[in-house]
Amino acid sequence: MQEVTRFMATATVKPKIQIGDDVREMNDAEFAQYEIDQAANKTQAKIAADKATAKQAVLDRLGITADEAALLLG
Amino acid sequence: MANTQTTVPLFVANQVLTAAQQNLSAGTGVPVFATTVTRDAAFGGSNKALAEGQLAYIEASNIVQYYDGAAWATVGPATASALTYITGASFSAVTSVSAPASTFTSTYQNYKLFLNITSGGTDGASIQMRMRVSGTDNTSAVYFYGMNGLGANGTRYDINAATDSKFIFTYQQAGLSNSGLTLDILSPQETVSTRVGGTGFGINVGVNAISFYSGGGTFLTATSFDAFSLISSAGNFAGSYKVYGYSNS
Repeated sequence: MQEVTRFMATATVKPKIQIGDDVREMNDAEFAQYEIDQAANKTQAKIAADKATAKQAVLDRLGITADEAALLLG
Repeated sequence: MANTQTTVPLFVANQVLTAAQQNLSAGTGVPVFATTVTRDAAFGGSNKALAEGQLAYIEASNIVQYYDGAAWATVGPATASALTYITGASFSAVTSVSAPASTFTSTYQNYKLFLNITSGGTDGASIQMRMRVSGTDNTSAVYFYGMNGLGANGTRYDINAATDSKFIFTYQQAGLSNSGLTLDILSPQETVSTRVGGTGFGINVGVNAISFYSGGGTFLTATSFDAFSLISSAGNFAGSYKVYGYSNS
């Protein structure tokens, strides 16, 4: 019983995927790629968020809105 | 129906033919059958032996067929549409959905893909696309893409990357049905660069503004693919996709 409990505590629930009409958990190779992708996605999202923040900071410094900046650049 | 017949009679020497038999022969240049079952039952035995070149019209499906010596093949009517449905599926509570192998074949050069999201993943999670062959996504860093994005608030939210391991064409909003894709896929099955272009519906990443994207991408390395995957970068998504082949002529 202790062994079962320990196994349940450590088992990883892998995300589900669908291929055609079949739904199943990711296999080990797919899950390994998923984890690589999740790390890359976080990095990409941070870059995008930082870019948006930097853009807003410039607008704030200039004291204009994004629409006004678009008018200037258009 | 008036033309329907149940036999293809074989006349023998010195047989006296009835008017009904003559009318049947004269009236139906191509024998007409109710179904493929009655068609098959009408040949052989005391009837005419089925042989290559035999024609038949099937009422149940409104088609003309010929027998090629081994099987029945359909002559027509030819498909009027330039688009032929190939495959599709509904999905829910998954992080990715893949089209089955052999979605892309040599039958068509170019394809149309519709993705309708009914419930998005995590707010701002991207909808990614990877090309696929023999049941495995291609994760090579040769995906190049650029999408011009414009928010309904008037702010530009472009998406672009070079040497990425996937395409990103739009972003989703949690639990909502405001994201989707309409994409044209050029030459995925040929051993050339696969080019994908179209429209993305969704939001931007950051402030969740409703946004629309237009552009495309290229999987640069010449590779023959048989399918693709659509991936939610974070959270499960739900919806459906449909794939059509563009007629080559």
